[in-house]
Amino acid sequence: MTKKDKKSFNQSLAEWKLFIYNPTKGEFLGRTAKSWGLILLFYLVFYGFLATLFTFTMWVMLQTLNDEVPKYRDQISSPGLMVFPKPVSALEYSFSMSDPQSYKGYIEDLKKFLKPYALEAQKNLIDCTGGILFEQKGPVYKACQFPVTLLEECSGVSDPSFGYSSGHPCVLVKMNRIIGLKPQGNPRIDCSVSKVGYLQPLVAVQLGLGASSAPKEATVECKIVDSPNLKNHDDRDKFLGRVAFKITMHA
Amino acid sequence: MEGLKKEVVMNDHKLTLEQLSTKYSVDLTKGLSPKEAQEILTREGPNTLTPPPTTPEWVKFCKQLFGGFSILLWIGAILCFMAYGIQMYFSEHATRDNLYLGIVLAVVVVTTGCFSYYQEAKSSRIMESFKSMVPQKALVIRDGEKMQINAQNVVVGDLVEVKGGDRIPADIRLISAEGCKVDNSSLTGESEPQTRSPDFTHENPLETQNICFFSTNCVQGTARGIVIATGDSTMMGRIATLTSGLAAGKTPIAREIEHFIHLITSVAIFLGVVFFGISIILGYGWLEAVIFLIGIIVANVPEGLLATVTVCLTLTAKRMARKNCLVKNLEAVETLGSTSTICSDKTGTLTQNRMTVAHLWFDKTIYKADTSEEQIGKTFAKSSDTWFILAGIAGLCNRAEFKAAQETLPIAKRATAGDASESALLKFIEQYYSSVKEMREKNPKVAEIPFNSTNKYQMSIHLREDSSQDHVLMMKGAPERILEFCSSYMLNGHEYPIDDEMKEAFQNAYLELGGLGERVLGFCFLNLPKTFSKGFKFNTDKINFPMNNLCFVGLISMIDPPRAAVPDAVGKCRNAGIKVIMVTGDHPITAKAIARGVGIISEGAKIEEDITAQLKVPNSQINNREVKAIVVHGSELKDLSSEQLDNILQSHREIVFARTSPQQKLIIVEGCQRLGAIVAVTGDGVNDSPALKKADIGIAMGIAGSDVSKEAADMILLDDNFASIVTGVEEGRLIFDNLKKSIAYTLTSNIPEITPFLLFIILSIPLPLGTITILCIDLGTDMVPAISLAYESAESDIMKRAPRNPKTDNLVNHRLIGMAYGQIGVIQALAGFFTYFVILAENGFKPLDLLGIRLNWENRYLNDLEDSYGQQWTFEQRKVVEFTCQTAFFVSIVVVQWSDLIICKTRRNSVFQQGMKNKILIFGLLEETLLAAFLSYTPGMDVALRMYPLKIFWWLCATPYSLLIFIYDEIRKFTIRRHPGGWLESETYY
Repeated sequence: MTKKDKKSFNQSLAEWKLFIYNPTKGEFLGRTAKSWGLILLFYLVFYGFLATLFTFTMWVMLQTLNDEVPKYRDQISSPGLMVFPKPVSALEYSFSMSDPQSYKGYIEDLKKFLKPYALEAQKNLIDCTGGILFEQKGPVYKACQFPVTLLEECSGVSDPSFGYSSGHPCVLVKMNRIIGLKPQGNPRIDCSVSKVGYLQPLVAVQLGLGASSAPKEATVECKIVDSPNLKNHDDRDKFLGRVAFKITMHA
Repeated sequence: MEGLKKEVVMNDHKLTLEQLSTKYSVDLTKGLSPKEAQEILTREGPNTLTPPPTTPEWVKFCKQLFGGFSILLWIGAILCFMAYGIQMYFSEHATRDNLYLGIVLAVVVVTTGCFSYYQEAKSSRIMESFKSMVPQKALVIRDGEKMQINAQNVVVGDLVEVKGGDRIPADIRLISAEGCKVDNSSLTGESEPQTRSPDFTHENPLETQNICFFSTNCVQGTARGIVIATGDSTMMGRIATLTSGLAAGKTPIAREIEHFIHLITSVAIFLGVVFFGISIILGYGWLEAVIFLIGIIVANVPEGLLATVTVCLTLTAKRMARKNCLVKNLEAVETLGSTSTICSDKTGTLTQNRMTVAHLWFDKTIYKADTSEEQIGKTFAKSSDTWFILAGIAGLCNRAEFKAAQETLPIAKRATAGDASESALLKFIEQYYSSVKEMREKNPKVAEIPFNSTNKYQMSIHLREDSSQDHVLMMKGAPERILEFCSSYMLNGHEYPIDDEMKEAFQNAYLELGGLGERVLGFCFLNLPKTFSKGFKFNTDKINFPMNNLCFVGLISMIDPPRAAVPDAVGKCRNAGIKVIMVTGDHPITAKAIARGVGIISEGAKIEEDITAQLKVPNSQINNREVKAIVVHGSELKDLSSEQLDNILQSHREIVFARTSPQQKLIIVEGCQRLGAIVAVTGDGVNDSPALKKADIGIAMGIAGSDVSKEAADMILLDDNFASIVTGVEEGRLIFDNLKKSIAYTLTSNIPEITPFLLFIILSIPLPLGTITILCIDLGTDMVPAISLAYESAESDIMKRAPRNPKTDNLVNHRLIGMAYGQIGVIQALAGFFTYFVILAENGFKPLDLLGIRLNWENRYLNDLEDSYGQQWTFEQRKVVEFTCQTAFFVSIVVVQWSDLIICKTRRNSVFQQGMKNKILIFGLLEETLLAAFLSYTPGMDVALRMYPLKIFWWLCATPYSLLIFIYDEIRKFTIRRHPGGWLESETYY
């Protein structure tokens, strides 16, 4: 039996070899050079044609798009909220007041985030009146200024450590940008557990956790309120018009 | 096993009665004593056949669960669970997709397994109903006393007595017999009852007169004999053992599915490994790469195909059952379609299994009688006076009679008691002359000498109807014997003395009818002189009346005629390139006559009789065109080597095997299979069952078939008609073609299902098509359309082409894969991607910005991902867009599958030639569309399956591609039709 098996194994090996290259018929992988050439040429032409067609239809589709406003905005009818420093693996901040290394990352992140808000960077923008919707009708659009100083203690101007060293850590809450979104009513971001310097569209949360040696925890939840068309509750989307995060501080 | 295939050695028939008595130590008059019998019974066991080892139900079920195609899905499911396990182990946010996919795969396999198990259980229940459960009785003589015992208690050495109507309880060596005839048809296939006597007449135990075989029937007379074998050691038992010992080979469709699995697995593994390498190069982690590898392999598994194939086969099986072909094994449905050789039994399959008068010879003319099954009166010279006399003799000198209470039946269908030839005469006279019963009442029988094998005639004396005082002597029998009694003959109602001219005419007629394979009987009569008036005591032992100088009237010949539909069916088989070989236990002359009658040997074909002379000529010198028909005798076959047999099978187109033993049938089947043929065997007797089992498809007879043969067969002809096989062949071929189409259709959507995942890996774009949507296609929208292709009518006359070559013409070949994957599938994928890019672009994510976005896109803590317009999206918001895209991709596949379904309707013809007559297919198109709309628009689907409503415009994105598929394939098929055998055909015609 084993002998027979061995033979059939050798046989199949030989068959494979013959399949890969058959010198008598001049076949490589079961096809002659001419056959390979023809089939490759066929697929080259075929796929070439398909690629052209695909590119063409894509081009046609892109022509129908507006450069400034996306065709449909119904998928983001309501803005989400985002917090800074940027969360990495969970919405939890943990640092030790006495150890600058533990919050160095947070500070850098905040600085990076606030860089475009610096006075220098905003000097070309218009000074708008607060509380009034600023509507424009292109083709040139201007944006309103957002003086970073409005963030007071959390602006990083007066306190480069954003309060982390003193036990008053700052977390910034940002509302997502949506083109053409007109909030109704008088929306504001409302955070429970707060000591809020409220300013739209940016909000800073500074927590007074105090300088005690025991670890302290605080859970903060911010919501957009007072606007009928801005949702702040969705079963699946935990960031639609709201955000919740936790800060743990060690001494 | 090989030993069983050899001829049985037996010498009990050669022994003298004394030797027999000594050998079995039994008294030939008193039998065994009950005590001895009991001892033997305990030692040898009961006289029953060991039933073939039945497969337990759970094994059958497991075969359905794990056989063939299912194994592919099981491996897929296991891979899914593995992938899920790996993901679970290394990441807490593992998606459940792989788990669900694994569960769905398992559910699909189990469901289809249950379905096909149920189907087969149903047909085996029909099988059960065939089995007769009547316990057999036997009359044994023990210690000189006759007793009825159960046949299973009969032991070797028992003295048994059988009479007409009994089933022979064991193999018996006769010690005395009176007018005993047995019907050996279930063992040897001989349709005529065989005479049995205590004489040793032939070396071959099957042909000698002094042996009766287990489970054959005693038709008439009585006989006594000694049991020489019981149970499994009987001739019948050995055949049954031989049958159950044979391993049935794989069905062709099983081989095709295996081939298909190999192809699919190769493609899957190739793709998987290539993209594993690519993902490693692109910098994915090992773990992720392994998950990708598994994902790609699993994505290649066509989830719905197992169910589709099963349903298609079941539908065909049902259609065949309506046409009287009951399929026991679902896979056998296709086998008939690929059959290239049919080895058919003669008796009962090709013939009506009923002796019928075929020809008459009187007034020096041969008249043809109607032998069709309906027996509607056909005219011949009925006005001749000779005919009246001949009919009178045939009706009166005849012991057969109709059984009671069947006056309403047509004469041909009525059951009779008595010898087959006499029954034939009885029916014939009843049909064409007058009521035999009345005739007999008017001419009461006063004396009779029954037929026996030494006399070879039958004589009876009747009172004459016209003069109530006179007697007439009538005689019938072997023509040459009858002629010896005669000195005159009848011509047009007048007596003439027999002269040489008449003798010559007689000889010619006798030879001609005999040459037709018919059994010829001669008829004569004598009006007895007045001296033997009413009341004369005729003594048939010491003959006291004249029995010479009779007047010869004529000849009547009988045959078991072919069924009416058979010649046409054989012709169709011939057209379809199927070789029909007759294998029968009957005599060569009869076999040849029937073969000619049904067209197995075509008209005018030269028949090679002497094969030994031919074998001396080297193969190359045989002129095939000259010698295309051959009749091989079993005794010649015995001496042939397998090479010689192959040679005969190869070099003759028309072959008849006569006088074959069960073992030889098996050898013939094996010979055909050795030559690469797919062999169908038909048969009804126990003798056929080894061949039935060995054949690629065994076809048993539902009415006349023995249980053993039905057990061994894969298919049962409910009407015993060979012509039903042709229907089976047609259905089998159609389903093979349609399965190809169905598979091509189903496989095509595999490409738009796999490519999204591949591009997700390579281009790091959001996943365009998810697992759930893939399942919705494979197990949802694709199912009904794929099954509807089973209802597609044939493109051309499938009965006019040669059977497929199992080596080259595969169910799934590289051309089909090339078409489905390389061409149509790619167009479909483009349609899906186009829709996907349209939706994302219209929502703000332009195509170029999507490249490489995957890591950010999938990061659930990044809730302000910017699109091309600077809008910021939360994780959930972009997921909704992603799932909307997946829904749209799914809908696009449905849209392109519309045209795929239409192009799959035909392989060569244009759709405009084929038409859209398949209503199920139209229903399928509607169904898949409605299902897609249902899945997309039903409220709550966003939660249940994460499918979202689409804007109407998004349905249209794929339509240009759908149109392209249709136009491309019409052009392709047009080119194929224009250039038959051209390059395009050799590369894309599947």
